[in-house]
Amino acid sequence: MKKTIIQGIITVLLFFGTWFALTQIDWVKVFKVQQVTDKTEQKLGELFWEVFKKTEKESQNPLVINSVDSIVTLICKTNKIDREKIKIHILKKDNINAFALPNGHLIVYSGLILNSDNQEELTGVICHEIAHIELNHVMKKLVKEIGLSVLISMTTGNGGGEVIKETAKMLSSSAFDRSLEKEADIKAVDYLTNARVNPEPFANFLYKLSDKEHEATKYLTWISTHPDSKERAEYIIEYSKGKLTEYKPILTNKTWNNLKEELKE
Amino acid sequence: MIHIKKFSYEPGEHEAETASSSYLMSLIAIIVGLPLPIVNLIATLIFYLGNRKSTYFVRWHCTQALLSQLSMLFINSFGFWWTISIIFTEETITSKYIAYIIAVIIFNLTEFIATIYTAIQTRKGIHVEWWFYGSLTNLICKSKS
Repeated sequence: MKKTIIQGIITVLLFFGTWFALTQIDWVKVFKVQQVTDKTEQKLGELFWEVFKKTEKESQNPLVINSVDSIVTLICKTNKIDREKIKIHILKKDNINAFALPNGHLIVYSGLILNSDNQEELTGVICHEIAHIELNHVMKKLVKEIGLSVLISMTTGNGGGEVIKETAKMLSSSAFDRSLEKEADIKAVDYLTNARVNPEPFANFLYKLSDKEHEATKYLTWISTHPDSKERAEYIIEYSKGKLTEYKPILTNKTWNNLKEELKE
Repeated sequence: MIHIKKFSYEPGEHEAETASSSYLMSLIAIIVGLPLPIVNLIATLIFYLGNRKSTYFVRWHCTQALLSQLSMLFINSFGFWWTISIIFTEETITSKYIAYIIAVIIFNLTEFIATIYTAIQTRKGIHVEWWFYGSLTNLICKSKS
């Protein structure tokens, strides 16, 4: 009996010993397992942004840029996010959409700003996208959807322009996994409360647009790609309950109205 | 690691064949169930249950084959689900993972070779006891007489 137990323990130890001994070797290096480096991400960010820059018109209006910049800067400052990391671009397009690209590129369509009833709604969506950036969801999604080897070949110039275009389109028009979306929503509420912005309008925004889902959804990219808006609105409200109630607008009402006026033109 | 011992009696031709089959069972199942580690265990288990009332020699070897499969199940299942989580979740390939897989391959290979060897020997009616599993089987499997 004793002999069997000792032999059993030795067998188990032998296995873990072998495993431990083998971990001493850097296999990732030996097998040249490809991993995402900062450089890959940087290059991909540039490539995808180029696609949008070529096809869409970027707003150069200083009022528009400064207003959105104020929102992003405040969010970053109150949440200890490196402001330099977030590169915001406002594109003149009617679609109600905002999305993140690799390396911190954040694209907001003017349609989203115009269709936000108040600045809190816009801030909520921006926070949600910043959360995707901060939580590294963009690269995770890319690796999962198109594979690391394709991504790396893109950065080395072997990937066709068509593949890059398609991928950029995919990033702008499809949502993340449910769990990732929820994670970003919850993080967005944290960002909002830290910045003293009421998260409720963000939830309302989802509610409001989900009602419109049956109507012309042509411009509702952000909502139609983000499933279960109602459910999302509910857990956002639930999560933001009991958080601080003293809120402060980021932009003055005048600036907000001016911003919308400028974009309408 | 593997000891050839004298069994309490001389097994007959038919006994040797059935005992040998218990090892072959796990080998065939390895080929079929390579991606799913549970398959070879089930195969050995069915064979074990079918021969529960058989002679001592046959029972003894069925038990040894089953026990060895059982421990491989733990090792392989862990590796299997680790791989699945790398493919489907955010887990990434690390040196730790590769080291584990190599260790798993080494142990499976050892078991595989030992199984083939034992299958051949038991077919000849030679009693083979494995390190640890042999003495464990001696504890579980008792002669009825």
